[in-house]
Amino acid sequence: MNRRITRGRWLMAAAALTSVTLLAAGCSGSAGGDEGGDGTGAPAAEGAATDQELVVWAGTQTPITPNFNPYAVGVLHLANGGIYESLFAYNKLQDVDPTPMLAESFEWNEDGTELTVRLRDGVTWNDGEPFTADDVVYSFTNDTVKPAYLDDAVAKDGSTVVFSFAEPAYANEFAILGSTYIVPEHVFSEHEADAGEDAEGNALTGLVAWDNAEAPVGTGPYVLDTASNAAYTAKANPDYWGGAPKVASLRYVGIDANQSAEDLLTTGQIDWTTMFVPDPERVTSTGGFGYVNTPVDPVVLYTCSNTDLGCEGAQTDVAVRQALDAAIDRSAITEKAFVGLAKPISPTFALLGRDDKWIADGMPKESPQSADAAAAGTILEEAGYTKDADGFYGKDGKPITLTLTSVDGWSDFNNAAKLIEEQAKAAGIKLTASTISWNEFADARVSGEFELIMGGVVGTSLADPFQIYREWFTGDYTQKVGTALEPGEWNISRYDDDEVNAAVQAASETNDEAAKKEAYATVQEHIVEDLPYIPIVVNGTQTFFNTTKFTGWPTEEDMYMFPPSWQGPSSGVVLGKLGGAE
Amino acid sequence: MKFYARRIAFYAVTLWAAISLNFLIPRMLPGDPFSILMAKLQRAGGIPAGTENSIRLLLGAAEDQTLWEQYVTYWKNVLTGNLGISVTNFPTPVTELIGDAIPWTLGLVGTATVISFVLGIGLGALAGWKRGTWVDSLVPSTTMLQSLPYFWVALVLIFVFAVSLQWFPIIGAYDVFHFNGPEWSWAFVGSVLYHAFLPAVTIVISSVGGWLLGMRNMMVSTLSEDYVTTAEAKGLRPRRVFTTYAMRNAALPSLAGFGVSLGFVVAGSLVMEQVFTYPGVGKLMITAVRNNDYALMQGVFLVITLAVLAALFLMDLIYGFLDPRTRHHD
Repeated sequence: MNRRITRGRWLMAAAALTSVTLLAAGCSGSAGGDEGGDGTGAPAAEGAATDQELVVWAGTQTPITPNFNPYAVGVLHLANGGIYESLFAYNKLQDVDPTPMLAESFEWNEDGTELTVRLRDGVTWNDGEPFTADDVVYSFTNDTVKPAYLDDAVAKDGSTVVFSFAEPAYANEFAILGSTYIVPEHVFSEHEADAGEDAEGNALTGLVAWDNAEAPVGTGPYVLDTASNAAYTAKANPDYWGGAPKVASLRYVGIDANQSAEDLLTTGQIDWTTMFVPDPERVTSTGGFGYVNTPVDPVVLYTCSNTDLGCEGAQTDVAVRQALDAAIDRSAITEKAFVGLAKPISPTFALLGRDDKWIADGMPKESPQSADAAAAGTILEEAGYTKDADGFYGKDGKPITLTLTSVDGWSDFNNAAKLIEEQAKAAGIKLTASTISWNEFADARVSGEFELIMGGVVGTSLADPFQIYREWFTGDYTQKVGTALEPGEWNISRYDDDEVNAAVQAASETNDEAAKKEAYATVQEHIVEDLPYIPIVVNGTQTFFNTTKFTGWPTEEDMYMFPPSWQGPSSGVVLGKLGGAE
Repeated sequence: MKFYARRIAFYAVTLWAAISLNFLIPRMLPGDPFSILMAKLQRAGGIPAGTENSIRLLLGAAEDQTLWEQYVTYWKNVLTGNLGISVTNFPTPVTELIGDAIPWTLGLVGTATVISFVLGIGLGALAGWKRGTWVDSLVPSTTMLQSLPYFWVALVLIFVFAVSLQWFPIIGAYDVFHFNGPEWSWAFVGSVLYHAFLPAVTIVISSVGGWLLGMRNMMVSTLSEDYVTTAEAKGLRPRRVFTTYAMRNAALPSLAGFGVSLGFVVAGSLVMEQVFTYPGVGKLMITAVRNNDYALMQGVFLVITLAVLAALFLMDLIYGFLDPRTRHHD
């Protein structure tokens, strides 16, 4: 423990020293704001200044279309975090306060209908214009982005913005502070009438139609340099509010096959990437690369669970879901299908290790790791099922038959589904695993026409399972089977329980931890019992980084930010922190 | 003249059918582009506020058009050369994407196809000429190479020559870690040739066997023709019998096949482009199909269809010219 602190102090001293040197070296042209790395917890670069180019693969495939408009669908990764920043950066992995970026602090009023944000002083856009409260207001109120829940955003003075809402908006804190990119009004307002064409050749106007590929103006640590359809490069922003980045240039490349990316990693040609590598030893054994595995996204079986909304099949019976849950051997799945990279999941969907405080008393902390075929049988027999001559359970002479699909080519999911097929068979449940195309998968999810699908749930971006409870478990976020889910609705299982709906609503209206815990207890009681999504594991996210050339990476000891190269805005925080290794 | 008119009419009907199918097939795929895009973005770590609206704007407008209206618009666009905007590569026009990809595809896959053909015909002729000698053993070995899955051959070559020995690069049409885009310089040209070597070798390895086998068998049967025996009896030099009498005639059927495969060059080599991250047409097709990017899908299919039809048409005309029998069939 002591050694950690000493190292931290030493680094801080080093950072302070270098920023002084930089100041002396010629940042005299900047608008004279105070340099970062002060008491506000802003990121400060580690290590030494370096001319070595940092090569990043963020999952982009070729051909790359230069697009740095954060509102566009095909926006490239550098824009989210590297060029455009949010007010705060949330750490997806730890229960800590968000890192202040363009804002320094925020405060809710008593009933959660007003959020006051105090902005950082002395920030400039990379075209030299000062960053103001009006830019922030514009970033929330322009026609393209204005969220429905936001009543108004007003600049109270040059560095304070007040957001007002019709209803308590605690639940939208992350969306406002952590995932909305702040754009310059003086540039973006000129492109509101840009014209283009939509997918069907119809006219399309507005900010969406603009690609922002010529010298995008942002506040972030990097500035776009060149762009082609194979790669794009960026150079350090000398006037960055957190101090000029130490790594002089970046190169984002497009790679089509995972195998190529793995080969490039092992030969040391990529410096930072987040991708699935079944045998990470192969990359790290050379000693030049560091590696972290950060599991955050749950893998589950989606079950179409609700007959009221039109679900069909044996899985609509809660006893069948419970039996299946008991029949699954999670440790075997973790080892064989996920090659040991996944972590145990909590049936409450709280992320173990990060959200432990939200797991209500009496709730199981994690789903059972081993199969219990006998328990599965007991559950089914109590529900009136009987075993037939072949050893499969059924009711009224009809055996249970289930189809479990997974997307062809997602080998970890395909293998897990195969294992579940065997494990279900051992418990007397007839389940067939098959693969489908990505398009069929997407179709089945939104339409609800399926029995069981092996799929993912997106982990929440902050230490609170609320987002999953609301978007995946409440009746407001679903549709009848046959009606497509609206964007943002993720209740694929069609689960709709009045008590859960009410508890989630109650949790959204409070910022009081005790009141939230009480509401979550109600939610957990139901979802652990009803299992609309049968929890399997929490899937790993593997990030590799070159430690020979660069330093300042998030590591197991200092996980200051979620490390993936494709995640905005956190990747911008990581970029601002990197430096050359000595 | 009647022959040519009939051929042209036939191709016109084929063209219409192909272009109409090109319109229909993508619309019969499961899933809609909107939900696919949303799901993909969500999987890649959440959707920033604003993007969702953008996607809605991008893809939502098509709902109120009937299929027939879409069909009419589609024809209008095809005739004016407007192939629309790619959704996955927004806002690049499809024509630009295809235009960027075709030179690479033609350059690499085209050259590799020609090399493979010349090599296959040459070696095949030799194997047929000297059948029973060691040259004949080329037939089983190249056929075996061709029967290996292309994917596997490419991965093995990459593993040996690019990863272990590091003689050749792993990805790209040029050094993407050094050049910031195509440019006119000797260094760049050198880089392009260097990067094309391994992909070209994989294509040649996996296709030369077919040409070789076909040519060898044609050669064997041509050598038993009376006019070859006559030529030999006249005391012509073996070399002249080989080139002018046997090889020239034996190559005719292969030439027809070559025409067709040249047409398909435009389609690129799907797997090669994927494995080597090579910027060709095949990859555009994969991306388009995966993302239900209708405009791009139709654009790519259209170009491929046109190229194949044009190649077939050309071969037809040449054959009609070379061989009078095809013109007076009835």
